[in-house]
Amino acid sequence: MKVVVDGTELDLPAGTSGIDAVFAAGRDVPYFCAHPYLSPVGACRMCLVESGSPRKEKDGTFTLDEATGQPKIFWFPKPMAACTMQATDGMHIRTAKTSDVVAKAQAGMMEFTLLNHPLDCPTCDKGGACELQDRAFEYGYGASRFGFDRRHADKHYPLSDFVILDQERCIHCKRCVRYFEEVPGQEVLDFIERGGHTFIDTGEGGLPTGFQGNITDICPVGALLDNVARFRGRNWEYDHTPTTCTLCPVGCSVTLDARNGRLERVVAGENREVNEAWICDAGRFGHVFASEERLTVPLIRVDGQLRETDWDGAIAAMQRGLGGMSLADLALYLSADSTLEEGAALEALAGLTGTPSVDHWPRYGMNVETTATLTDVATADAVIVLGADLGEEAPVLELRVLEMLRGGILPPEFPHGTAIADLRLVERPTRHPERLAVIGGESRLSAHAGLRVSANGHNALARLMRPDTDELRAAAGLLAEAKKPVLILGADVLNSVTQDFTAALADLVTRTGAKVLPISAAPNSKGLAHLNLVPRAGGLGYDRLEEARAAFISRLDPAAHSLPGRARGFTIVHDTHLTRTARLADVVLPAVTNYEKRGTTVNLEGRLLPLRQAALSAGEGADLIRTLTALAEVLGVRAPVRGLKSAQALLQTRLGVDVTGLPNGGVIRPLGQRFEAPAGQVYAPRLWKERMHPDPERRGSGVPDREDRIATWELPMHDPALQPGGDD
Amino acid sequence: MSYFADKQPLVTDIFSRYPASPQGRRSALMPLLREVQDAEGFVSEARMAEIAGLCGTTATEVRSVMSFYSTYHTLPTGRYHLQVCSTLMCALAGSDELWDHLVSVLDVQPGEVSPDGRFSVQKVECLGSCGTAPVVQLGDEGYYEQVTRAKCDRLLAAMRTDAPPPPDNPVPVTVREDGRQMLANGERVGASIADLAPVGSAMSGGEA
Repeated sequence: MKVVVDGTELDLPAGTSGIDAVFAAGRDVPYFCAHPYLSPVGACRMCLVESGSPRKEKDGTFTLDEATGQPKIFWFPKPMAACTMQATDGMHIRTAKTSDVVAKAQAGMMEFTLLNHPLDCPTCDKGGACELQDRAFEYGYGASRFGFDRRHADKHYPLSDFVILDQERCIHCKRCVRYFEEVPGQEVLDFIERGGHTFIDTGEGGLPTGFQGNITDICPVGALLDNVARFRGRNWEYDHTPTTCTLCPVGCSVTLDARNGRLERVVAGENREVNEAWICDAGRFGHVFASEERLTVPLIRVDGQLRETDWDGAIAAMQRGLGGMSLADLALYLSADSTLEEGAALEALAGLTGTPSVDHWPRYGMNVETTATLTDVATADAVIVLGADLGEEAPVLELRVLEMLRGGILPPEFPHGTAIADLRLVERPTRHPERLAVIGGESRLSAHAGLRVSANGHNALARLMRPDTDELRAAAGLLAEAKKPVLILGADVLNSVTQDFTAALADLVTRTGAKVLPISAAPNSKGLAHLNLVPRAGGLGYDRLEEARAAFISRLDPAAHSLPGRARGFTIVHDTHLTRTARLADVVLPAVTNYEKRGTTVNLEGRLLPLRQAALSAGEGADLIRTLTALAEVLGVRAPVRGLKSAQALLQTRLGVDVTGLPNGGVIRPLGQRFEAPAGQVYAPRLWKERMHPDPERRGSGVPDREDRIATWELPMHDPALQPGGDD
Repeated sequence: MSYFADKQPLVTDIFSRYPASPQGRRSALMPLLREVQDAEGFVSEARMAEIAGLCGTTATEVRSVMSFYSTYHTLPTGRYHLQVCSTLMCALAGSDELWDHLVSVLDVQPGEVSPDGRFSVQKVECLGSCGTAPVVQLGDEGYYEQVTRAKCDRLLAAMRTDAPPPPDNPVPVTVREDGRQMLANGERVGASIADLAPVGSAMSGGEA
């Protein structure tokens, strides 16, 4: 399809929108309401362009321009919104660069958009990263002819504990309204009133927790602000670090904004194959632990009390504590959100000391082969969720399942990025709940499922194979008839995987061609499973920590889960906070969070994703690689891995993958053999962990709690207690 | 507490006017809102939630639709709800002065009801009767036209005795219960919902 933009001829795929044609030509139009993953609606009218098409005569030939002999272009009489206009073959488009009409129309629209905008950029959190600010500078007149007072409305209207709405700044682009309706499928936000009085509000008494924070990312102005990060810094003061979120196994792309060594804000990054442009609330607001109550110096137990010391002091204390003990007696346990590099370092050290007691947690006793990607989930024609609470295990996977229900329309990619307006996306899309079956406990996703079967996890698959109820028969039928079915397995199932289960699953996959997506227990347990980090013969698993003669525990807190918090003998805890387990330890070493690491993590699809280091102050905190180097010194051996480079070199030989220079979007690579051992305990996934709950008040946001807010700010609604006549 | 709980036939009737699809159910929003407002004078938050439940949508959606129309009220209204047109023509003819007079005489502000439960006032946009400005609409009944101060006082006095004069101009077109429209002079126009039949059956009926 040939399209001419400002005289440049382009060859574009059919169905391209006008706005993408303009960007594909390297030109620019301003826009506020269009968003790659939302339906184009043409609400802001900023992307105006002039457009025209050739016309065909009845005999099928083009009407020719008499002067030039070329097909005559019939221009639309008025500028058109490029985001809702489909480019057609032979279409000509003129942008503000070549058309004075367009330039004037856009400047005029900008004048209208700014009519009621308060222009309080100096005090606005969005300032410096604001689409309206940038576009007003690029395309506006720089002055307004409207001399009257601007509209005044509530500037601190809390839609929820996490999101604050400034009603004056809102330009009514409707992105947030469309987001809630189209993406998580919750119609909780809408325009109230009309015309110049329009504002955004909810009638549900707050926004549902789960994915509400995304509206703060997509707001093109400073109307919807992240309350956890509100007034914490200006955009140009933040150090931006694009990295991967490791709070769940999805591995969403995020950007960390840190200032003065504190992590202040997390915003979603785009990864077309993983999280598109969305992240969950835990990933966005749950980062507060990284900057609060951090353990910054090593602690050693002196006279029964933990005392601060330095690393030399800690090493000396460890030497005293471990003195006379066989190297193989020291059990090594690490958290399964550690990076592959850290895992390799621990595996290498365990090989050197010969300890059979090595384990990582959380993990499941047996690994199930992953054959589906997240894109497979989104484009499937049937999804069966077995024993999973996606809201707790992998929230963004829930969004991809909901995307499947909307028909799995993935916006195409252009050289300028994801299509800005994909005209196949529509408001209030038709959903196909009959394509989703949820078998297991009640969860948020159940509300969207056409088939809900309550079952307990361990026999859910067996019952699906031999359905004994009508619902299960329907689910089995769905799986049998679908062309691209995906089976999602959650914790309830994976905690009790047996040989029989694996055989039954293999049988089911062969019969139906279903792809399988087991949700890993922890952010990197999929990657760490390829390293020998499970108890060897005679070794003690993490569940038998208390039997170990001595133990090194990295970023695990068994005591918080009412399990024995220390080994029989000398216990070293490596953690970012003074956890309950750390309080029981003999030596506590400060660790760094995954926000402060370089390394590689493997998400539930098996995608290798890079972690990058944000500029956070961690005191003397050290990652596991450096800590193990110190531990090796204590043990009197030379650590085989002494830094990131040697860990990555080791990974190259161990797994045959090069993890240096991974793209932000990650790559899926086979990692070879997996190691398994019975887990010994049941893992119950929980998304929001202790210390992740942001308390905006604690951070001095000055926002009153909900009861106070209702008393002060609730809009006038009838109070039955009041009699006619009011206070007269 | 629930308004529609004991009005199942009415609810069934309203829903029967729309397709039995999720979109069709949402269409019943407007008549349900109208039903509540006619009965109670306003639509409270609890009623919005109830209507949302009936239509299979959310209270946000109901409130959004409702707030679009100035003729739906979220606050109680008096027996005589006076709507003063405040758009250009009426403003030129003195609607601002009329409004000031009204609120000071009645001692009510928008959103309030006078202590005797009779009066509430509201400023509205153009009522489309610019030739007879200034115009005051009484409830859903009709227009009082060319309302001067003297006429206003006369009208209020009559309303205080619960004998308001008939409007100078009744609402031009009203919709009857059967869905048929009726002009102010009593002439019935348009079709009734009773005449409606699905497209397919009407076609086959014609052939037979």
